[in-house]
Amino acid sequence: MKIKNKISGILAMTALVVLISSCEKDIKIDIPKTTDKVVIEGSIDLNNYSIVSVTHNLPYFGTFDSSMIVNLFIQNAVVIVSDGASFDTLKKTYNLNSYPYIFYKGTKIKGESGKTYSLTVNAEGKTFTALTTIPPNVAIDSLWFKLEPNQDSLGYVWAKFTDTTPTGNYYRVFTKRQTKDKAFAPMLFSSVYSDVFFNGETFTFTIERGETFYDPSVNDPTLGYFKLGDTILIKACTIDRISYNFWRSAEANMYSGGDPFMNPAQVATNIEGGGLGGWSGYGSEYYTVIAK
Amino acid sequence: MTNLSIYTMLRRTLILISSFFFFTICLRAQLPKYTISGYVKDAASGEILIGANVYVKETMNGAQTNQYGYYSLTVEKGTYTFVVSYMGFNEHADTIVLNQNKKINVAMTEKVITKREVVINGVKENNNTTSTDMGKVAMDIEKIKTLPAFMGEVDVMKTIQLTPGVQNAGEGNSSFYVRGGGPDQNLILLDDAIVYNASHLFGFFSVFNSDAVKNIELTKAGMPANYGGRLASVLDISMKEGNNQKMQVDGGVGVISSRLTVQGPIKKDTSSFIISARRTYIDLFIKPFVKKSSNFYGTSYYFYDLNGKVNYRLSDKDHVFLSGYFGRDIFSMNSRDLDFKNSISWGNATGSFRWNHVFGPKLFLNTSLNYSNYKFDFDAQQSEYDIHLFSGITDYTAKSDFTLFPNQKHLIKFGATYTYHTFMPNNASAKTSGVSLDLGSVVKLYSHDAAAYINDDFDLSKKIKISGGLRYTFFEPVGPFDRYIENATGQIIDTIHYSKLQKITMYNHVEPRLSVRYELNKLSSLKASYTQNYQYVHLASVTAVSLPTDIWFPSTEIVKPQFGTQYALGYFRNFRSNMFESSVEVYYKDMENQIEFKEGKNPEDNIKNNTDNNFTFGKGWSYGSEFYLNKRTGKWTGWVGYTLSYTKEKFPEINMGKWFWAKYDRRHDVSVVVSYELNEKWTFSAIWVYATGNAMTLEIGQYVLEGNIVGDYGPKNTFRMPAYHRMDLSATYTGKKHKKYSSSWNFSLYNVYSRANPYYIYFETTGNITDYNITTQAKQVSLFPILPSATWNFKF
Repeated sequence: MKIKNKISGILAMTALVVLISSCEKDIKIDIPKTTDKVVIEGSIDLNNYSIVSVTHNLPYFGTFDSSMIVNLFIQNAVVIVSDGASFDTLKKTYNLNSYPYIFYKGTKIKGESGKTYSLTVNAEGKTFTALTTIPPNVAIDSLWFKLEPNQDSLGYVWAKFTDTTPTGNYYRVFTKRQTKDKAFAPMLFSSVYSDVFFNGETFTFTIERGETFYDPSVNDPTLGYFKLGDTILIKACTIDRISYNFWRSAEANMYSGGDPFMNPAQVATNIEGGGLGGWSGYGSEYYTVIAK
Repeated sequence: MTNLSIYTMLRRTLILISSFFFFTICLRAQLPKYTISGYVKDAASGEILIGANVYVKETMNGAQTNQYGYYSLTVEKGTYTFVVSYMGFNEHADTIVLNQNKKINVAMTEKVITKREVVINGVKENNNTTSTDMGKVAMDIEKIKTLPAFMGEVDVMKTIQLTPGVQNAGEGNSSFYVRGGGPDQNLILLDDAIVYNASHLFGFFSVFNSDAVKNIELTKAGMPANYGGRLASVLDISMKEGNNQKMQVDGGVGVISSRLTVQGPIKKDTSSFIISARRTYIDLFIKPFVKKSSNFYGTSYYFYDLNGKVNYRLSDKDHVFLSGYFGRDIFSMNSRDLDFKNSISWGNATGSFRWNHVFGPKLFLNTSLNYSNYKFDFDAQQSEYDIHLFSGITDYTAKSDFTLFPNQKHLIKFGATYTYHTFMPNNASAKTSGVSLDLGSVVKLYSHDAAAYINDDFDLSKKIKISGGLRYTFFEPVGPFDRYIENATGQIIDTIHYSKLQKITMYNHVEPRLSVRYELNKLSSLKASYTQNYQYVHLASVTAVSLPTDIWFPSTEIVKPQFGTQYALGYFRNFRSNMFESSVEVYYKDMENQIEFKEGKNPEDNIKNNTDNNFTFGKGWSYGSEFYLNKRTGKWTGWVGYTLSYTKEKFPEINMGKWFWAKYDRRHDVSVVVSYELNEKWTFSAIWVYATGNAMTLEIGQYVLEGNIVGDYGPKNTFRMPAYHRMDLSATYTGKKHKKYSSSWNFSLYNVYSRANPYYIYFETTGNITDYNITTQAKQVSLFPILPSATWNFKF
């Protein structure tokens, strides 16, 4: 319900568009120094090993260059995933092509449908824990690419989908252009859905292209679009309610940037022990669509 | 406060009222007494005059005309000089021999030369020190018209906000705050009908067309018992009745809007009408400049207002009025690039039928039937999506207010009111590619709301005057209604269904009110007041600014009524034969059952759920002092107001249960208003306002999730926006008065030194983590730099 979230913003634009003059300027503000916190971002996909990154929060506002960014990663953490029966101690792995550059990856436990997984992280002298579930995966009925009206070569992926009853299903969608993107990126602005809007119904919806890093200062006319010729990979997942709340609040936060027309969205973390971030299980299904 | 102490206080108040009442009635039986009563009006237009002073010179016994221009004065048999006075009008004096009850209707003539020597308080010279009223502000429309006007639109609400204790929330905020109270805690009445959203375009303009308004009165402390239902204040606005002597046309042409008012007699002296209309036309100006090929072709905004009123004097005893208001803000937006179409409209509609009846010289009755509606509509289409959102509130009210003038020492008001509310909080429907999404059925909440009151304003002794009252209030939400029961994780596990008119819950309370004035001497007095209020309607806002999307919500079995207690103390003193009036007031206020959305919750989370399941409840308290100095007469007039205040809130589920500053907490608030009347033609005015910045919640840290920057918010409302300050100037030129017509010009300069006041502050992150380079910058958005405007007003 992306449109709905924008209402207040649009109202604000009324004021800005209609009234001749408004101005924006950079300001300097004094913000009390934040405390150091550990950020944990982990996921376990169906039939895949878990991946967890452990980082510091950014200590101040300003410009970060490559060395500072690399220093965000906590490299001596102990990360353990368990399905209740066995334990998997994750191994540190590097991938300097896409974020996260340094992460911990499992070697024993692969995600299974319907199972619950616990995460334990020891970092900076503290212990953090979290729980997540991989809900049964649901397939999309069909997918196709369609050009947008008024566009020569740009369009969205369309999907026909049937939700299962009863209510309480949650979904997350990622996209990746096979040659252009280094990794799957969550659908732009709002990648999670609750079936409260469409419980048990069959309907079509658009899939907008995800952006690994959304930069509002860049005016990209192709933002959200796929282009004729793209080979598009879609990853559609079922998630549990806790993951839904986490990602929904995290996305509201990422794209609001302190927007006064939104309720300041503190992210609903599921990490216990004073950490930030989240631990999510994905009941994932993969599809390929050619934009033609 | 415990129930016990409430009832103790209640009993004491009751005893106090009744004992004094009988005491003063019984103990004086000397010469026979007679009553003089009637209406006071403006001879030129036939408009009644509110708050005119009526007295007999020999004993200085006096009264004031009520809201309907009626007075009643009881004195001993004798021969008197009967005087009626009203600011800006020639004093009426007459010798009368009083040996029976007399009905005297007085038509006052306007002072011609000193017409604009009129002061903001269009009331008796020393009324501020002699009445029991505290924290009361009355405004004179003619005076307001000479003050600087934003974009040339004269605004009564803006002027009210220049008085101490009343705060503007800043540009782009549609409401005002009184003594730490929220925007929903102000009762705004237009001819007895409630106005739920009193602003156009996010508060840049109020819904009250100054040409159609006759009288404005704001009460922010010591609320008498005839008002209720809100914790903070009452803004009571009366519409003009219409000239019953001759046809009259007034109007104004400004840079962004125009106004036209037509009024005149239907039957001279008996019946008249007034119709007033206003519309902005910035959209019409902009349209020709937006090319058809433009991405934003089809984007426009305008608002309009219509006010109408007719009245008919059936006899000397009966007078009926029918009045109405209708206004809308209409915004439409197109963005071809985004394939996005959108229209938004919101506004109020009110209607009142009133009947004034005089039972005898001592008893006056106003009965009214009122209708009030506020509506917000939002429509948007983007590619295959089509969404419609709507919310609103509709009230039907019947009420009777009696005014009893038993003798010179008492002024008793009593009455009852009943309202049937229908609330529609945040409903939505949506379609994608023609298939409807299931957003639940339209939610409506119904409730009965009733009250009865009695208030006595009486002289206990020469020095002590007391206004004491009791108000009984009753509120009952009824079905049809579905209550969704959530479990601890917020999942719905059960539904309770209530059938039509089935009682869901019920609240009833007694609210004591007390104000006392102690006259120190002719020029100064001390006043104290104690007020209790219950409020059964709530405005839920998620945002840092108030918007038309904020939703009105009734008390339910989950949302307990707001409860407020206010203690106020004031010292009032006039100088230089009432040329200057000054006051110092201090107050303490306690507010229970305040509502907020839970952290991270938004109004749209009510789909297939109850909106109030997303609320969280807490308390607020506010204290402060207000200083006021007003020069009322002379070539130089104006005032200085300063407020020092502290407003805090505490919610168990917000900010980890720790108290925080309310977003409208204002440490310092200064208003300076100066007018200089150079000659009959030119008047110059200046306004300067200063206010501590709003409290807001800001990110204090950031972290990275999936390569994007996420903000880590700090404790609630610990950051302060930079202070707001601004100066406006105006010059008003009044043309020569012709026999048939007159006209004037108002030139205004808004934000003279072009201060970039913060509208909001946000962080923008640029760069790309995959390029190992990100930057976060704080940005401030401001709305208006210096803005000149000119308005031409005419009358014929």
